[in-house]
Amino acid sequence: MRRFLTIAIPIVTLALFICIMLSGSILKRPLGKDDDVPQAIENLIQKINNDDWDKVNSEIDNLEKAWKKVIHRVQFSLERDEINDLSMNIARLRGAALAEDKGNSLTELLEAYNHWKEMGK
Amino acid sequence: MNEGLVVLVRAIIGFFSLLIFARILGKEQISQLTFFDYILGITIGSIASELTVDLSSRAWPHWVGLITWASLAYLMEIISLKWRYAAKYIEGEPAIVIMNGRIMEDVLRKMKIRISDIMVLLRNKGVFDLNEVDYVIMEPNGQISVLKKSEHLPLTPKDMNISVSPTGISTELIYDGEIVEENLREMNKDTKWLMKELKKRGIKDVSEVFLATLNDAGSLYVDKYKDNIKKVKDIGDYKGPY
Repeated sequence: MRRFLTIAIPIVTLALFICIMLSGSILKRPLGKDDDVPQAIENLIQKINNDDWDKVNSEIDNLEKAWKKVIHRVQFSLERDEINDLSMNIARLRGAALAEDKGNSLTELLEAYNHWKEMGK
Repeated sequence: MNEGLVVLVRAIIGFFSLLIFARILGKEQISQLTFFDYILGITIGSIASELTVDLSSRAWPHWVGLITWASLAYLMEIISLKWRYAAKYIEGEPAIVIMNGRIMEDVLRKMKIRISDIMVLLRNKGVFDLNEVDYVIMEPNGQISVLKKSEHLPLTPKDMNISVSPTGISTELIYDGEIVEENLREMNKDTKWLMKELKKRGIKDVSEVFLATLNDAGSLYVDKYKDNIKKVKDIGDYKGPY
């Protein structure tokens, strides 16, 4: 039993560390109702395409809330810059939405989606 | 992103990963490490520190680097153990720099060492007169081993035809106020015997003892927490802040 534990504990520990370090690509995916980042981006793209600017701000809040939830899970396995890039996209998106700038809004959203897709790869 | 928390988690990952790898790599003492082993240690340490604090990159590539270096070091160890030819190439081998009291100048030249360096190492070993020396061997880790001429070796009981009983190694019976039951069993003693011995020394309870050791010759050493030493001697040679 002692010998088994001597071998098992380091193996389990290293396996746990590997899981933590590689968990980004799995944990970024939605686990609940209000942490679905790609869906929030999709909803925003739709509303911006339909020029539904009244609802865009609340959708951006939803996106930000979802992203903040995801950050807590993925921060241990991702680069700081990957996380900051997407946060910057959301910040610039707010500005573009305020100005009702369709072009910039869509650019930021597509860039944000690309960042999210590349995370953990 | 909570950077402090992320650094904490990555530090834990780096620390325990290094601990596991170091245990697997073995128990070589610092004094036995070759120059390459030092470089290996520094490199692995540098990778571990980047794994901990370099948030601009992911932990995974650093961890892969860490395990790669540790695995290669382990592989070199295995190869050196199994294949003497490779071991000679990888680790080098001891070289005799003084033989039968004579300096081997060619060996010194090949190893790029000056005789003055050898003299420094000899003085560190307490040898000030080359006439006393029979053999000096430069080990792969840079240390020297010295064999003095037989007439300059310390006297032993065997030289005087005196028979001595073996002492064996000391085993801890009490450590930090607690009995080490396993060691007591190994020395074929029991708690009753131990308490009797402690009572002879005026000790009523095991919790009073900091350390107790017993060797094969039956010599019991006991150190209590209360040493009855009023003031520990101050061996510092000048005044300081405390």
